[in-house]
Amino acid sequence: MRPLPVALVTVPPLLVLVVVQNPLLLGATCALSVALVAVSPPPRKPYVMFALTAAVLVFLINPFASAQGLTTIWQGPRIPVLDTEITQEELLYGLGAGLRLAGSALAFTAFIRLAAGDRVLAAVARVAPHSALIAALATRLLPALEADASGLVLAARARGARLGGRRPSAELLGPLVSLSLERSLSLAEAMEARGYGSGTRTRLPAPRWTRRERALLAVGLAISAVAAACFATGAGDYTYYPLAANPVTTAAVAASAAMLVLGAAAAGVVRWLD
Amino acid sequence: MAGLTFESVGYRYPGSGRPALDGIDLHVEPGELVLVVGESGCGKSTLLRAATGLVPHFHGGELSGRVTLDGKDTRDVRPAELARHAGLVFQDPEAQLVTERALSEPVFGLENLGFPPHLIAGQAHEALMATGASHLAGRRNVELSGGEQQRVAIAAVLAMGTTTLLLDEPTSQLDPVAAEELLGLVVRLNHDRGITVVLAEHRTARLFAEADSVVVMEASRIAFAGTPEQAARHLATAAPWLLPPVAQAFVSAGRSELPLSVRAARALAVRQTPSGAAPVRPASPLGVTGVSKQFGAITALRDATAGFEPGTVTALLGENGAGKSTLGLIASGLMEPDRGRVRGAGSAGYVSQNPAHYLIRERVADEVAYALDQQSVHGAERDRRVEAELARFGLADLAERHPRDLSSGERQRLAIASVTVMRPQLLVLDEPTRGMDGLRKLALGELARSLAAEGTAVVVITHDVDFAAEAAELVTMMGHGQVLSERVPRSALAQGMFFVSQLGLAFGCSTLAEAADMLRATAGAVHA
Repeated sequence: MRPLPVALVTVPPLLVLVVVQNPLLLGATCALSVALVAVSPPPRKPYVMFALTAAVLVFLINPFASAQGLTTIWQGPRIPVLDTEITQEELLYGLGAGLRLAGSALAFTAFIRLAAGDRVLAAVARVAPHSALIAALATRLLPALEADASGLVLAARARGARLGGRRPSAELLGPLVSLSLERSLSLAEAMEARGYGSGTRTRLPAPRWTRRERALLAVGLAISAVAAACFATGAGDYTYYPLAANPVTTAAVAASAAMLVLGAAAAGVVRWLD
Repeated sequence: MAGLTFESVGYRYPGSGRPALDGIDLHVEPGELVLVVGESGCGKSTLLRAATGLVPHFHGGELSGRVTLDGKDTRDVRPAELARHAGLVFQDPEAQLVTERALSEPVFGLENLGFPPHLIAGQAHEALMATGASHLAGRRNVELSGGEQQRVAIAAVLAMGTTTLLLDEPTSQLDPVAAEELLGLVVRLNHDRGITVVLAEHRTARLFAEADSVVVMEASRIAFAGTPEQAARHLATAAPWLLPPVAQAFVSAGRSELPLSVRAARALAVRQTPSGAAPVRPASPLGVTGVSKQFGAITALRDATAGFEPGTVTALLGENGAGKSTLGLIASGLMEPDRGRVRGAGSAGYVSQNPAHYLIRERVADEVAYALDQQSVHGAERDRRVEAELARFGLADLAERHPRDLSSGERQRLAIASVTVMRPQLLVLDEPTRGMDGLRKLALGELARSLAAEGTAVVVITHDVDFAAEAAELVTMMGHGQVLSERVPRSALAQGMFFVSQLGLAFGCSTLAEAADMLRATAGAVHA
């Protein structure tokens, strides 16, 4: 699909996830991202695993890293550096932060998987020529990383290392980065050899908008309007500390419901319309 | 002046003490097909990069002398602008594709050159048609085979109206089918369309006789340039391993004729009827019995049984997707079969297709020690085994170097050393000859045999039929996830329909030594 309608259904939710605080709205917007990823073409698993892992880690770490909140749930033994007093507010904040992180990662994933990489590359090359390499790398980032990571893990296991799954251990992360850098250099060289940067670019005329693109554009505009309304009215405002406020406000419920409905609509458009 | 000209060209990469090009003088006429041969690291790739201006514009470094392409000095014109005149197809098919879909590759170049928008689609499709890749237009590049990716890469270059095609070992990562098709395509483009072709290649068998001229590079210099016949005479004494296998056989036999193709060789020799009884083998303690493996809807292995004999080098051959790598991984204990039994996987080592995956530490010696560290081998024993392995693989002088600073051949040896240090009973080498020159292949064959002589069962998964014929004592042929046959090379590779070596085609022999013996014995028989 062309990047514009996909951007309209993914970027405003991303902004909502970054800006708002209300956990209810964060959850609804995260659900929108999940729905979009669910109807995106594979591979989805590595992206989803990354998002979930990051979210769970943030949720688990926050209560021990933060020392705020008044509603104590559990008091652990005293350990230097760690805050072992777990409060309801810390858990709620961790939940919000986890949703924020997972939702953002999934919104980014939905954009990468749904927007035609070649159209993204062409658009970036026109608007910001020096960033085209980054766009080209971004569209293939995770699949390439996954292939390199599984190759490194396999090589380590072939030499007796006891590693589980296809994820690299900490020792393999450096080589993984090195391989990515080598890949980006090869790509940059190939782009230059194929005339990139030789002067004014032209552009292959875009095909006509499809029914799906038009419908997704409409849904995207509606999502943008909801996001704008959230920012303008403060529907996503919320305070976690010192005492967690009630997240169920009229404005938050309305905005959350709109996000859920529009998320379902966007997923339906992607799934059912040709 | 039209064409490609090097005048006293020298070049050093940034931070490098030695020149990558030294005193290069060369002129390529429009429409010529030039084959560039030489050992790995001799400067072939740098020569091609200098022709397109990527050296020095992209890579930096110091360039002396002058390179002109269709009259344009590459020092004054950016590579992006030279792309209208010359296109470079790189060694790694996947790394050079910029876009997501095949059709977008030629489109990308045309957009970069400011081609009129309404003509882009037609030109891009036509370029794909010219390379036999039009049916791939809508496919994602990552889903294409290596051969298909190279076709798309050539189409992307041709679409830009390029009159000079530069190819840097384009078949090094392809199986024999794809390599043959690709080289055939290159010859057709040269013959039918008059495209100038400069091709650096290790697989010289197909193109040596077809080239207009052959450039022999050695240690960053052009050691010889001339017609294929003249170059063959030069190589016969200087570096016979760079010749096509049939010519190597005549050199080894001490005969004065130098045929450069199978047809020419057959006219000069009495072809033997290949023979070779099926091996009688005891039940091997290493191998797999009745293994099956499914990946989603794809059946990789179906009730496959194979035994690997200690002290024997076995070549595992078969087309892409035949299940060779899956069998190797299962036999090594790195992958669980869905069904079937694996024998001896606990003492197996596996070296994958990409040596870079084995380079994770800061020093070569530490890299070799990685496996020992996993096995908790410490102290003097650890040091002794690391030193022994470094010495055996000719890496002792490089022990303190960073593994990523090594050449490709050194990386390959290091990857193998980092596995053999475990002293595995079964060693699986997956496509170890990718990108290797003839001399390195000879060395690898020697190494495989020496490991076997120490009692290791060595399994070489390969598409390189000539290498398999030289190195292996047993050939296991696979197809559609099954083991189809187990034969000795002379029977398998000289009688084969497709997986047949050049020596097999010409003389009915599998190894260079056999062919040379036969040629010595039958000298004069043809003429008589």
